[in-house]
Amino acid sequence: MRAEILKGHLDGILLAVLEPGPRHGYAIMEALRDRSAGHVDLPTGTIYPALHRLERAGLVRASWSTAGGRRRRVYELTPAGRRALDSERSTWRDFSAAVTTLLQPLPLAARPQ
Amino acid sequence: MNSPAAPASGAQSAVERYLTEVSARLPGSPRAHSDIVAELHSGLVDATDAHCAAGLPPAKAVQAAIDEFGDPARVADGFRAGIAAGLARRCAVAMLVTGPLVGALWIITAVASHMAPQHHEWADLSPGLQVGVSLIAVAAGVTACGALFGIVATGRLSRWLPALPRRAPAAAAVAGFGAIGADGLGLALLGVQLATAAGRLSPWPAAAAAAASIARLMFARRAARRCLAIRAGLT
Repeated sequence: MRAEILKGHLDGILLAVLEPGPRHGYAIMEALRDRSAGHVDLPTGTIYPALHRLERAGLVRASWSTAGGRRRRVYELTPAGRRALDSERSTWRDFSAAVTTLLQPLPLAARPQ
Repeated sequence: MNSPAAPASGAQSAVERYLTEVSARLPGSPRAHSDIVAELHSGLVDATDAHCAAGLPPAKAVQAAIDEFGDPARVADGFRAGIAAGLARRCAVAMLVTGPLVGALWIITAVASHMAPQHHEWADLSPGLQVGVSLIAVAAGVTACGALFGIVATGRLSRWLPALPRRAPAAAAVAGFGAIGADGLGLALLGVQLATAAGRLSPWPAAAAAAASIARLMFARRAARRCLAIRAGLT
């Protein structure tokens, strides 16, 4: 799936990936691929600026942690991030329902003659 | 930037080249974005491990990790807005915090020199001082408004505002120019007083206020120029 299609939804997707618990940048990218069955496959380097933007907005908090001798920056949702995720889900449900309806072919009887 | 899981030297230098290319495209000094580079480095090592685990030999795994991270220019572009927001916020906070401190030094100077209006009567001031103080108040107001907007536009409230990356550095630059105006006018008024009524001035408070204003003016000039330069690099 191209990055352009995801534009406007990436923040919500990242928040959803972080919902189960804290993850570092590459683990977030792997979760994105796994949960979308490979359909979402952005350049990994573009995930990091998006995570920093979410951090500035107070939706995630980041901290450096060391595990197995490896130092990584780990992200987790803040309470504001959880509320923003709920709001994203609700907006997406309304949007996707509307677009699904619009994209469905009209029954023959309903088409203008 | 060595890591326990770092790949062999040839592959390592490919990672270093990639990170150097990203770093060179980021605004500001390399020290200012060392955390970004460290985070990308740890991500590249994780990606390399994942490709190795998938069966690629180490050198190919490193190249696959670099390919997976994408064009260094695009990665650096993604960080530009954040770096600009950080710079704008630091400048805005500095302007907002130093303004009252420098202002207090000037008020102490006026009181110690018996030049403050008696019984808060504005008319006690000479017409020249009235104009000068009014202009300083306007410049201080511009500084405060620019700084507050810069802080709001880069903080948690930013998620409620439209995403306009050029806005915060512009606001911080306005705060810087306001501070230049306020401090420049303060120093100009001091110059007039020195020329016309030097004997009335209390020397130590005046020297402290002048030194603080000169330092703030130089800092504000540099900060405003940096904010405008970083703003120019944003789309």
